[in-house]
Amino acid sequence: MAVFDVFGKRTADDDWTLVGGITAPDPEMALVLAKETHFRHKEGVAYAVRRRGEEELHVGPYDAGVLGGVTDHSYRRQEAYTGVGGRQKRVSRQIQERGLRIDRPRPPGHPSRDTEPDG
Amino acid sequence: MTYEERTAEFKGRIAGGQKIEAGEWLPDDFRQAALKFIEMHANSEVMGAIPEGTWVPRAPTLKRKLSLTAKVQDEVGHGQILYRVAEDLGKSREQMFDDLVNGRTKFHNVFHYPAETWGDVAYIGWLIDGAALVNQKALLDSSYLPYVRAMRRICPEESLHLRHGEELVLELVSGTPAQRELFQDAVNRWWEPTMHFFGPPSKKRDMLLEWGIKTRSNESLRQEFFTTYVPKLWDLGISVPDPALEWNEEKGEWDWSEPNWDEFWKVVGGNGPMTSVRLAQRKTVWDTHAWVREAFAGIPAAA
Repeated sequence: MAVFDVFGKRTADDDWTLVGGITAPDPEMALVLAKETHFRHKEGVAYAVRRRGEEELHVGPYDAGVLGGVTDHSYRRQEAYTGVGGRQKRVSRQIQERGLRIDRPRPPGHPSRDTEPDG
Repeated sequence: MTYEERTAEFKGRIAGGQKIEAGEWLPDDFRQAALKFIEMHANSEVMGAIPEGTWVPRAPTLKRKLSLTAKVQDEVGHGQILYRVAEDLGKSREQMFDDLVNGRTKFHNVFHYPAETWGDVAYIGWLIDGAALVNQKALLDSSYLPYVRAMRRICPEESLHLRHGEELVLELVSGTPAQRELFQDAVNRWWEPTMHFFGPPSKKRDMLLEWGIKTRSNESLRQEFFTTYVPKLWDLGISVPDPALEWNEEKGEWDWSEPNWDEFWKVVGGNGPMTSVRLAQRKTVWDTHAWVREAFAGIPAAA
């Protein structure tokens, strides 16, 4: 088994950046593993592997539209959790209105530090 | 240049904020400390997938099943990334896995405990991943650059897991009294293991800190965890089973009760409530899937 360094580009204009490594018997399998290990969450628009100690760069066959999956895998990405922060505030407010909030001193800067306890 | 002179020069580079790349000359003490630390981190990722993995078939909705499956896949992926980093420090992946499944190396204490309810899944997703993220963000400035690259890959995923866990928690605490109780019960059982997770207060001479592999003390990380999460729990009306836990305005830090450290040492020594079960699971898979590794490496199976 050989060590392959894995490279990626965040945008098409970026240079190749070293992002990690994998071990594989050949470049073809290295590209499969690199895609699954390092580019499953739409981390970039292109990827490549290079056997350690060699010069040749093997560029992955998938373009930006395909890399990271073409079916709906939004649950793998932050976009699926947009609004959780806002929900946290709403639920906290409801808990306070129900008189369930625990009123003990908070550190400076904490959003609920100066909130009036529920009357 | 003598070994001592090279080591002194190496220490000077770290003190000057330089990063160390794979393949560079390393003092033996640095190599051993980094390997042990990163191997334990990798072990914890693959063992940490098991408690939540057992809940994939029992997830309450398809959406939860998808997101939990993806999270479990991520955790195992983190293990793969970290084992690769550790391999460059001089130990083969096969040896590391063999040591893990045979109980010769350690993994994080929290993964030795059972995940009994869906409330535990919510707790793990929000607060165990939250604790892990506090630790891992601090490693983004580690002196060993391959480890930093791994953290740059892992931290965004852990941040996603945190959101997943937080959403589960919000659903439970805004639900019925039974749902709130489910989460409160999880907090009550998991709080002490979470305190253990950060480790005992760092020794005066901590080699990991000296080499810059770790950048912050255990106690500083634990304090950050308190500041980030305890007020949020209180905002949600969830109590923490430590009556002494309190923000001390004068000291500018949290007072808290020392947990039972004997329990911590017992658990990380391989005597936790689920240690043998989980290691047996991993060992079974390791043994029965040997043919996959052989095929992958191009080694013909024995006739």
